[in-house]
Amino acid sequence: MNAVKARKVLIVEDSRLIHKMYEVMLRPIALVSAFDGREGLDKLSQNPDVDLIILDINMPKMTGLEFLAQVKATPALAKIPVIIVSTEGKEEDVARGLQSGAAAYLRKPFQREDLLKLVNNIETKQSAA
Amino acid sequence: MTDESNRTDSPPVVDLPVDAVTATRGQRDAAATLRRAQQLVRDAQAAIEEASRVVGQSHAAGPVGAAAARLMVAESERQELAERLAEVEHQVGRLMTLYVATYQLHATLDPVEVQSTIAEIALNLIGAEQFVLLLIDEEDKGYEVRLLHGGADTPWTHTQRYTGGDPLVDAALTDGGLRFGPTEESPVLAVVPLRVQDVTVGALVILKLLAHKPAFVKEDHDLLDLLGAHAASAVFAARVYSKTARKLRTLESLIRLVNKG
Repeated sequence: MNAVKARKVLIVEDSRLIHKMYEVMLRPIALVSAFDGREGLDKLSQNPDVDLIILDINMPKMTGLEFLAQVKATPALAKIPVIIVSTEGKEEDVARGLQSGAAAYLRKPFQREDLLKLVNNIETKQSAA
Repeated sequence: MTDESNRTDSPPVVDLPVDAVTATRGQRDAAATLRRAQQLVRDAQAAIEEASRVVGQSHAAGPVGAAAARLMVAESERQELAERLAEVEHQVGRLMTLYVATYQLHATLDPVEVQSTIAEIALNLIGAEQFVLLLIDEEDKGYEVRLLHGGADTPWTHTQRYTGGDPLVDAALTDGGLRFGPTEESPVLAVVPLRVQDVTVGALVILKLLAHKPAFVKEDHDLLDLLGAHAASAVFAARVYSKTARKLRTLESLIRLVNKG
């Protein structure tokens, strides 16, 4: 059984469909929604208690990787784990995402159990640290 | 009882000591009886040992053995339940995907947003990298290319209207059946006819999947099937609403003019 413990998750994703998907799949976790990287940074400053970020790569205004670089460069935010979920699925895309500081990379289309497994793994690692 | 019969009844004794041979008959009888008694004692001891071994085994096989057997059954049931739970969780995930796709298709009455949702489903939920959305032109009943995604180098790139030519697409548009390719005549991977009230109002033509998705999976068939029915009604509803809203605005302007006059 996938029992997710995260309390608040920031979703940075430009697709309304995928926002709805997270809302359904991650229920009852509180979600904070942003539709591009810039909005993601704003939402993060308004919600310092976010304990996980789920991030898309291709977005208008500020891409996922630009957002990730900003998050990792801010000491107060750098420890928040980030899962990249993207249609960009080449090996070099995955490597680039992980080198930029993402804790995990999930290719779209994804299964609910894969997402929950990743979230659980990250939580387990965090509580062990 | 004769001496002969006594000998016959006695246990077989083969290792008589020499002195016994030379002893008197009474002494021989006593020695034989003694040996027989010794043999009986040995047999009894062996029987006791065997019995205690059997009793020990039955103690071991009793509560512990039964518990071990029950543990094995419980473990097997746990394994089966874990597999069924994983299967149920997978099904729940599939149903969630179908629910979200349906929900989002009917969440708007704006034709452009409906098209954008169809594109999001194709890309994010099916994993289509290149696809074309054809929608019927209500004036001349031909098919317009309303959306082309990921296609800088496809035969559809500079096409505004689809006038036929791809056998798979033509067949799907004619009979409204879902088609999978590629075939010898067509490079298309799938054609999803969008049908409402037995009328084909368009089609989603999938030309290429994302590099990390080698082929369609079982779940995609449900999603494509759903898309065929729900995308069509969403497109239809959005078109009707937009036409009605336009007519309403015209009538309102007319009424305002009449009132002014």
